[in-house]
Amino acid sequence: MTPPVAVAVERLSKVWPDGIKALDDVSLEVREGEFLAVLGLSGSGKSTLLRCINRLVDPTEGKISIFGRDVTGAEGADLRALRREVGMIFQQFNLVKRHTVRDNVLSGALGRTGTLRSLLLLFPEADRAEAQACLERVGMGDRGDSRADALSGGQQQRVAIARALMQRPKLILADEPVASLDPALRNSVMRHVEALNREEGITVICSLHDLDLMKRYATRAVALREGKLVAEGKPEEFDLPTLRSIYGEEAEFGFEAAS
Amino acid sequence: MRRAAPPPPGPGARLLALVVDAALLATFLLMGELLVRALVFPMQEGTLRTAQEILEKLHYAVLGGAGLLLALAWNGAAGLVGGTPGQAFAGALPQEPAERPWDRTLRGWFTLLFVELTFFTGWLVTEVDLGTFFTNFEKASGVLRGLLHPSGAVLFEGLILLAQTLFLAFMATAFSIPIAFVLSFAAARNLTRESTAAKVVYTALRTLMNLTRAVEPLVWALVFISWVGIGPFAGVLALWVHSVASLVKLYSESIESIDRGPMDAIKATGAGTLQVLRYGVVPQVIPPFLSFTIYRWDINVRMSTIIGFVGGGGIGYILKPRVDLGEWGEVGTLVLLIAVAVWVMDLVSARIRERIV
Ligand SMILES: Nc1ncnc2c1ncn2[C@@H]1O[C@H](COP(=O)(O)OP(=O)(O)OP(=O)(O)O)[C@@H](O)[C@H]1O
Ligand SMILES: [Mg+2]
Repeated sequence: MTPPVAVAVERLSKVWPDGIKALDDVSLEVREGEFLAVLGLSGSGKSTLLRCINRLVDPTEGKISIFGRDVTGAEGADLRALRREVGMIFQQFNLVKRHTVRDNVLSGALGRTGTLRSLLLLFPEADRAEAQACLERVGMGDRGDSRADALSGGQQQRVAIARALMQRPKLILADEPVASLDPALRNSVMRHVEALNREEGITVICSLHDLDLMKRYATRAVALREGKLVAEGKPEEFDLPTLRSIYGEEAEFGFEAAS
Repeated sequence: MRRAAPPPPGPGARLLALVVDAALLATFLLMGELLVRALVFPMQEGTLRTAQEILEKLHYAVLGGAGLLLALAWNGAAGLVGGTPGQAFAGALPQEPAERPWDRTLRGWFTLLFVELTFFTGWLVTEVDLGTFFTNFEKASGVLRGLLHPSGAVLFEGLILLAQTLFLAFMATAFSIPIAFVLSFAAARNLTRESTAAKVVYTALRTLMNLTRAVEPLVWALVFISWVGIGPFAGVLALWVHSVASLVKLYSESIESIDRGPMDAIKATGAGTLQVLRYGVVPQVIPPFLSFTIYRWDINVRMSTIIGFVGGGGIGYILKPRVDLGEWGEVGTLVLLIAVAVWVMDLVSARIRERIV
């Protein structure tokens, strides 16, 4: 029995005002519990696709729904309610640098906190306890009082994961979450994303450059090239000819010699 | 990336080029006439005429028309003799086969001559008189002697009014902070892109603030003196209006330069507009806001002395009558007090701003 559909993208296109077609008629379906990797060269439209799903970017054409609810037409309070269920992790971490780690994690609860309280950073005790639990999950339980910009990149990304977790999301969008980290640190961050997927059943859509990471963490992958969906399959199905069709004939792959 | 040839200049740019050229050429001809009149017939009718008299005699209509005709001719013949300065200004230069050095173009020579002519015309119009400047010094020495021998008579009163000046500047700044803070979000382009209503508010607010800032605080002081009467409160209001306008500009420019990332991240949590501003924008702009505010207080201290001259309270208020009466010793004391206060403010504000950023 296949799990229900988490995200349905139908014939999605995005044309930027300067005429660049970042997404061109993309359709895909993600089932609950999947860890979907999105591959593609720089500029192929990965970020645009992810940002359309939580409407940080408004698509030009097409339709997206998450958990059966329409995203593309949602406005105001409906849109905010949808976003609440979707955590997002960014390549540049995007923490509020001058806030403490704890306040950063608490900001994941903004969608369910009254405006006045949140403007004064007065979160209920229950949320504070939950934030602490989220921090402990990512191994940052003792850093709650540090300022966010005092942390290393890997630590900041873990805090960002805790912030997403604080949303109690059903879906996580991760836009190249480890691309600005040292290769040695990448697994320490990816493992936390994987844990949310495996242990909490949170659906993950994660854009990645790194094919080894894709093979290790994803349950399925799709690839974009110049805004078009050009490949789709299990990680192990991404063989040399497929990769060439994604990255071009000139590309070189580390495992090429071995295969 | 795809790169197309630049589009040919539209009618708007061509019209702008023509208007600029007509203005430049007419000004050029008028400056020429002024020089000829001043240098070739200086002694006509017995006296050397003043600049104003000459300016009143120039043939504005004729030379204005001539400028327009020349501009039309040059714009028409731009293909032959090279682009016009107006075309360069409007970004509507014709395609030239090769980039030529400026001294090989008509435009370059015209610009050079124009600048030189402006200098000589300026000399005449502002009635520069080096002879008097170098020979008539002793008339000013009384003033300087007074300034260098400050009298103690106004020291106490001066100090008290100096304190009033500092408070005046402080209150003007304090009143302007909350208003400028709120308005600056609506005057920041990056926050007002999403809806048409927001864009309208942005444009209206920017225009209003630019107009407000264009009016000198001295003029605002006159307005408020007739409104609330002579005294420091009028000065506070005058500086307040000007401070709001300039802080909105400075604040909104720092909002425009924030990192968008945290804003996106907060938006992605499902936060509302106010929450996005509070978490995604405000923490990033607090240091520049503080710095600009202190800078503004510093400027207000300087301005409040001038505002006192017209009745806006503070130390400038007692300075004016002493200047009129020629009591240079007392003027010296007051000027010294102002100089010290401005100097100290300058140091303190620079130091605090260094620490913040
Ligand atoms: N805000 C924007 N305005 C205009 N064009 C944009 C904008 N964001 C992205 N683009 C363009 O859309 C195309 C796809 O960009 P996108 O950021 O989605 O690619 P990406 O696959 O995420 O690349 P990268 O690996 O570099 O992050 C690019 O050509 C880019 O220049
Ligand atoms: Mg990207």
